[in-house]
Amino acid sequence: MSANQEPNIVAFLCNWCSYAGADLAGTSRIQYPHNIQVIRVMCTGRVNPLYVMNAFHQGADGVLVSGCHPGDCHYMEGNYHARRRMGLLKELLEFAGVDPRRFHMSWVSASEGHKWKEVVEKTVEDTKEAGPFEGFRRRQIDW
Amino acid sequence: MDLEKLRETAAEVVARDDVKYLIGWKKGTFGYRVMPGFVEDAESAAELIFSPLCTANLATYLTLVEKPPLPRGQEPDKRKVAIMVKGCDSRAVTQLLMEKGIERENVVIIGCHCPGMVDPALLAEKYPEAEEPAEIKWSDDGFVLVRNGEETNLSRDEVLAEKCKLCRYPNPVVSDITLGEPVEPWEPAEDTGVAEVEGKDVDNRWEYWQEQFANCLRCYSCRNVCPLCYCEDCILDRLNPTWVYRSVNFSENTAFNLARAFHLAARCIECGECERVCPANIPLGKLNRKLAREVREKYGYEPGTDPEAEPFQAGYKPDDPEDFIM
Repeated sequence: MSANQEPNIVAFLCNWCSYAGADLAGTSRIQYPHNIQVIRVMCTGRVNPLYVMNAFHQGADGVLVSGCHPGDCHYMEGNYHARRRMGLLKELLEFAGVDPRRFHMSWVSASEGHKWKEVVEKTVEDTKEAGPFEGFRRRQIDW
Repeated sequence: MDLEKLRETAAEVVARDDVKYLIGWKKGTFGYRVMPGFVEDAESAAELIFSPLCTANLATYLTLVEKPPLPRGQEPDKRKVAIMVKGCDSRAVTQLLMEKGIERENVVIIGCHCPGMVDPALLAEKYPEAEEPAEIKWSDDGFVLVRNGEETNLSRDEVLAEKCKLCRYPNPVVSDITLGEPVEPWEPAEDTGVAEVEGKDVDNRWEYWQEQFANCLRCYSCRNVCPLCYCEDCILDRLNPTWVYRSVNFSENTAFNLARAFHLAARCIECGECERVCPANIPLGKLNRKLAREVREKYGYEPGTDPEAEPFQAGYKPDDPEDFIM
């Protein structure tokens, strides 16, 4: 992949807030970059840090995890758990030498279509700056 | 520590009806080696030692026990296991108790106050291993090494293991029986290993770990020796989904090492066993210590100090730091 190609970004969105927020952005015809591949999960607390690592491993240049604002979780406390785990994962990735601009987390509620646009723009911009992430990509075995 | 007292206590413990066996250290067969001893009677209790070479963390053996299916009608052996622990090992036991990996009533913990251990590799560099097992003792300001019949005084800083320089818990956190005199905790040294990696910029850090992980043989010694890696179904053995392929290349090695580090985040008690056994000398302890420090400083949590506490990743506080969240 050459440096001016578009980045691949995997986004884990919680079903109740961020996914609905992204949906609202769509129905309100808000234009935002199309580099995001959305994976819907029921709650950010469901996002195993291994998922994030595996996304990078399988070719993502950036990962975004997005959920409800603290206190708004459909399952009462799922996003609090996610906040701890992802905070720790961010530290680990940074320490291991993964560019901190590749991993983002955000709180986007169902009514924040505009915030979703900003979050995506920021993520895409940061990931573009960081460039393609070749080092960690799983070597494809050509049988 | 008085070895007579230790052996006497061990013999007393294994003589109890409700104790299956005792896990302790005994003299190795060569140079600076010390091996784990599984003591079942008073006779073998006389072989136990506690010297500055007893770096190994025996808490691993509590969860390594194989549990084959029993013949019909046979009752499982519910007797206790006695174990000798140093300060760091006792934290591993505490963490296991907290995670319900073992039950408190199934262990007898014999705590040894630990004035600091020697790094056998470092020692062997300066004083090559003799064929005969060497004797080594604590002295007032370091260690006394008896090798080939001659005595050498070693200064403490010269051969002290790195994990002991950083140690904050030389005395057992939890124990049923304690041996020896409590040790005054010393001022932990600055963690230069982690600081050195932190000082690099992101790309150089990646280069640094790429160099280190490139040596990884994927022997999984670090997993097997770790007292806290005891999942019956480990993600590394799982084929569907295959989180980590078995091929030994840089990308899989990185995935394995990061997954291992993350699974020990806020659980690692910094006993340094992974680093000690690594045949490729990968500084795995740096990853663990970095996360442990983050958790301690940012979340005010320390694993393996309180058996009643909540596991870190199973809980939360409403005011956890969230400055990284958009």
